[in-house]
Amino acid sequence: MNSHFFARRLHSLTGMVPVGIFLVYHLYLQLYLHQGAEKYNEQTNSFYDSPLAIWLLIIFVYIPLFYHSILGAKLSIEATPQPSYHYFAHLLYWLQRISGIGVLLFIFAHLYNTQVMPLMTDTYGQHFEHLAEGFASTETGWLTKSVYLLGILGATFHFANGINTFCMTWGLALTPRAQLRVRVLSIIVFVLLTAAGLYSLSAIW
Amino acid sequence: MSKKTITFKILRQDGPNQQSYWETFVIPYLPNSNVISCLMDIQKNPINSEGKKVRPVVWECNCLEEVCGTCTMVINGKTRQSCSALIDKLMQPITLQPLSKFPVVRDLAVDRSRMFEALKRVKAWVPMDGYHDLGPGDKILPDHQGVAYKLSECMTCGCCVEACPQYSRDNDFLGAAAISQARLFNMHPTGKLIANERLDSLMDDGGIAACGNAQNCVEVCPKSIPLTESIAEMGRQSSKRFWKTLFQI
Repeated sequence: MNSHFFARRLHSLTGMVPVGIFLVYHLYLQLYLHQGAEKYNEQTNSFYDSPLAIWLLIIFVYIPLFYHSILGAKLSIEATPQPSYHYFAHLLYWLQRISGIGVLLFIFAHLYNTQVMPLMTDTYGQHFEHLAEGFASTETGWLTKSVYLLGILGATFHFANGINTFCMTWGLALTPRAQLRVRVLSIIVFVLLTAAGLYSLSAIW
Repeated sequence: MSKKTITFKILRQDGPNQQSYWETFVIPYLPNSNVISCLMDIQKNPINSEGKKVRPVVWECNCLEEVCGTCTMVINGKTRQSCSALIDKLMQPITLQPLSKFPVVRDLAVDRSRMFEALKRVKAWVPMDGYHDLGPGDKILPDHQGVAYKLSECMTCGCCVEACPQYSRDNDFLGAAAISQARLFNMHPTGKLIANERLDSLMDDGGIAACGNAQNCVEVCPKSIPLTESIAEMGRQSSKRFWKTLFQI
């Protein structure tokens, strides 16, 4: 085993375990959007109130997330396009890379919108209002809405398809039949997470 | 008399590291031809579509029955063997290009020694320490034989690596064929003896971790070898070795 092998296995693992689990938890929290501003802010702030929150975020979310995305972006750039081979798995291969880079850009915009800007304007803690204002804006509302829509779709696709590649990389699903079962599972995960994300957004659309 | 013709657009190159150029050839139609029989016709009378006599097109072939893999080239944009590429089933003009992942020797002939080096890297053989009589080998069960026979059909033709987006001229990826051969020899009763050495090669630079799961390899393999199954199996074996070395050393 050398560093390249270790780096790639860590890439696979970080995408699934800390980042994937965080995505599911994060999408779950957004369901509180339907319970109104007070309840949503209370739920979100209760997590940040813990003295460990920032450390948990850094160790289990930010470091694995940026490790996964920086190495992923590097690998995506190194891939050689093979445009004459039109196969489904090959399409997913490119969608995985495009969605990964797209979601990384979304995360930067999302972090600015929900963390940096509230801190700068000293309105931190009013999560619901920030989101709702961004969506309701007559000038940039359409842009915010489309960015969030693409961001959620990209993230849920990247995670669900990542289940396939994870099972392949670690050798969990061996035969084509087993790989098909994992694909069915990943489609179910994709549909459920996307539905949850879109349902949450509908509260402030 | 039929005036039907066959048109070829061939990507030619006069020698290694030289500029490539397209040349068109139009030859009379013959029923049931394949790409190789047409290349032979061009060789007999190497006149291009402008009526100019040119150097005959160079290509490689051997068995003419899709078991040696030598005549692999890119036909109408897809990698395949030219012996089994039947003219009646191809869209015209038929484009012929050398494999893009290997250095061109001349015209359609490429140097595939990187694939042989990959087989050496994964020690795709059964280790022997002499020519003396070793007695009968281990018994092999039919289900084992069924898997091994399919894997042994690999002819190192290069289709899998040609279609692979992770395999490029400037990296050192082993490719699906070599990973699958490592699986074949790791399941052989005697080949198993150096299973860990093969895994160490697969876990080195350009090894199994360089696979990006595009799965083009299994789609284009002319022998229908379950290459993604092989990659997953070797992924499983290297995962076991990964956890073992992580907690042992």
